[in-house]
Amino acid sequence: MGVLQWFDDNLVSMVDGVAFGLLLFTLAVGLSLVFGMMDVLNLAHGTLYLVGAYAAYSLSDGSLLGLAVALGVGLLVGAAGGVVLAGMTQPLAGRGHLDQAVLTLGVSFIVADVLASAYGAEVLPADPPSALRGSVSVLGHTYPVYRLVFIAVAAALALVVWALFERSSLGALVRATVADRDMVRALGVDTRVVLFAVFAFGAGLAALGGVFGAPILGPGPGVDETVLVLSLVVVVVGGLGSVSGALLGALLIGQVQTLGVAVVPEYAPFLLFGTMLVVLAVRPAGLVSLTKRQTA
Amino acid sequence: MFGSHLGRRAAGRSRLVGAVGALALLATACGGSSLGGEEGGSGSGGSDGPVKIGLLVPQSGVYNALGNDMKAGFETYLEQHDNMLGGREVKVVLADEGETPESGRAAAEKLVKKDKVDAVVGVVSSATMMGVKDLFESSKIPLVGSNASPTTLTDTTYIWRTSYVNDEPGIALGEYVAKEAGGPVYMIAAGYQAGEDEIEGFKTTFEPAGGEAVGDPVYTPFPATTNFQPFLSNVQKSDAKAVFTFYAGGAAVDFVKQYAQFGLKDKMPLYAPGFLTEGGVLQAQGDAAEGVFTSMNYSPDLDNELNTAFVADYEAKTGTKPTTYAMATYDAAKVLDMAIEKAGDEVTSETINAAIGELGDIASPRGTWKFNDNGTPIQMWYLREVQKTANGLENVRVAELGTLGD
Repeated sequence: MGVLQWFDDNLVSMVDGVAFGLLLFTLAVGLSLVFGMMDVLNLAHGTLYLVGAYAAYSLSDGSLLGLAVALGVGLLVGAAGGVVLAGMTQPLAGRGHLDQAVLTLGVSFIVADVLASAYGAEVLPADPPSALRGSVSVLGHTYPVYRLVFIAVAAALALVVWALFERSSLGALVRATVADRDMVRALGVDTRVVLFAVFAFGAGLAALGGVFGAPILGPGPGVDETVLVLSLVVVVVGGLGSVSGALLGALLIGQVQTLGVAVVPEYAPFLLFGTMLVVLAVRPAGLVSLTKRQTA
Repeated sequence: MFGSHLGRRAAGRSRLVGAVGALALLATACGGSSLGGEEGGSGSGGSDGPVKIGLLVPQSGVYNALGNDMKAGFETYLEQHDNMLGGREVKVVLADEGETPESGRAAAEKLVKKDKVDAVVGVVSSATMMGVKDLFESSKIPLVGSNASPTTLTDTTYIWRTSYVNDEPGIALGEYVAKEAGGPVYMIAAGYQAGEDEIEGFKTTFEPAGGEAVGDPVYTPFPATTNFQPFLSNVQKSDAKAVFTFYAGGAAVDFVKQYAQFGLKDKMPLYAPGFLTEGGVLQAQGDAAEGVFTSMNYSPDLDNELNTAFVADYEAKTGTKPTTYAMATYDAAKVLDMAIEKAGDEVTSETINAAIGELGDIASPRGTWKFNDNGTPIQMWYLREVQKTANGLENVRVAELGTLGD
């Protein structure tokens, strides 16, 4: 009974943790693959979310069609942004992560300033399509309809991404490039095409997360930094360059940020980085580690 | 080859962890801090030539919107008075407060030392206010602050505030909520100085009036919290009959929207200092804000001649109704107008400051008020409710909460 009562008390937090976790997954998976594959630390990744969220704000007019248009535009702009970023960081490939970090951080500052001068300093209201507004009762608890729909869509998206990377031959090629780029190149594959494609894919996904996530985490100055830090934590916790790692890490951080905060609200400021600290202490390479898989 | 590859990966990981740490720092430390403003000549003062007033408000960063309101309020007053204060022509020097106390202090130093202004108006951030306190006290230039007002700012000679003291919006609501709540009240606020000031202020009038609290106040991490669901779940679980909260800016938008989405809006009335629904945030909150009760020293629907003219001119200029930030900065211009007039022939920083101390009643869009010994207003507080009007959602005055400040 005690357990059931606890479960009932915290049901909303757990459901919301899944929604939040899946949102983090759409962001973190691109960052993780790009860093794992291209060895590029892309600190402009949060900017892609921001671009997607502003696209949702500008283009959604309360209809489902508006959302679809915003999705298309977000995906295109995001993927194009990914290709540009890949092209910009390519010449720096031999110069280490610091140069990449400075370059991409500079890009994120510039884009953030441009967006701020175009959209102003306030956090903007990005309302979901009117068909998805309002709240429903989930086992006696009130929960926003949009977040439920978001869970379904994002879960499907996560499944597709996971199947693509972990179960298809295309994914095998990508994973092989993560594991040993030189060997794949020796097999006659132009790894640069793979790299650009993965960068565009990850960036498009982050922008897609922005479009879908805008009603949950709306666009405004500083939001790009918030989501970037969260994605980096997910990548560190989940393990580099792995889709299942990003998914596991994102779902864990999602629960920590909702269920964890609800259960011990007084420790809310420490939970996120506390979790990262514990994972790093126990499994320094993250929950799902590619290096482990290699040596095993 | 394999070994070196693993080595590279390990190095990459440690850099990644470092990057996370660096970014967390960056997110808090790095703000827009460019200095704006016009070039000024040398000092004015004396009995002829224009009076130089520094306008120190954010023109960048997260407080930009507040800064714009304040600037527009100041300009509205000058436009109503042919760019004259106390019979003297005015030269306004604009400086960008930015986001941090560092950028604010640098801008204030420029106004005082380089532009040699006679008085300064503005300041949004409480941290900036504390950071520039000694500068104004030691250079003997009056700062007529029109927003920031930490409770710890006392014993000043040259610093005045036309706004309120930070804990007063909470103090104003305590007794009313204790009477109206009809049961225990849940307290939840942003976890930084302003949030704690409001909660403590609220308690000083709420508890003596017989109000009952649900446990200790809950402080949410600021500005990190954007998803309030876990906190709202705990509110939902409690036996609270009403909620007292403090948020401003983007956090206020998230909090109010989610308060409605998670079904609390129709269950527990929400009470807060006016910032929760002030200015642009109200439009962003939309229908979720309907029925929220807030306390403020001003409401655009106040019925007096000065306010009617102020609202009309401000609306013509900006297209929006004035906020309390705009009104307080409008009043700062009014205070300087009266003080420069009073200073007579010898207009210097020190005569202006002495004159401010002797102003007595000040007629304002908020109603008549005056400075107390601490340099903050003795003024009426109002209860406002967010209602749907012909002009969309607005803060509508529903009751008087009494006079504070004396």
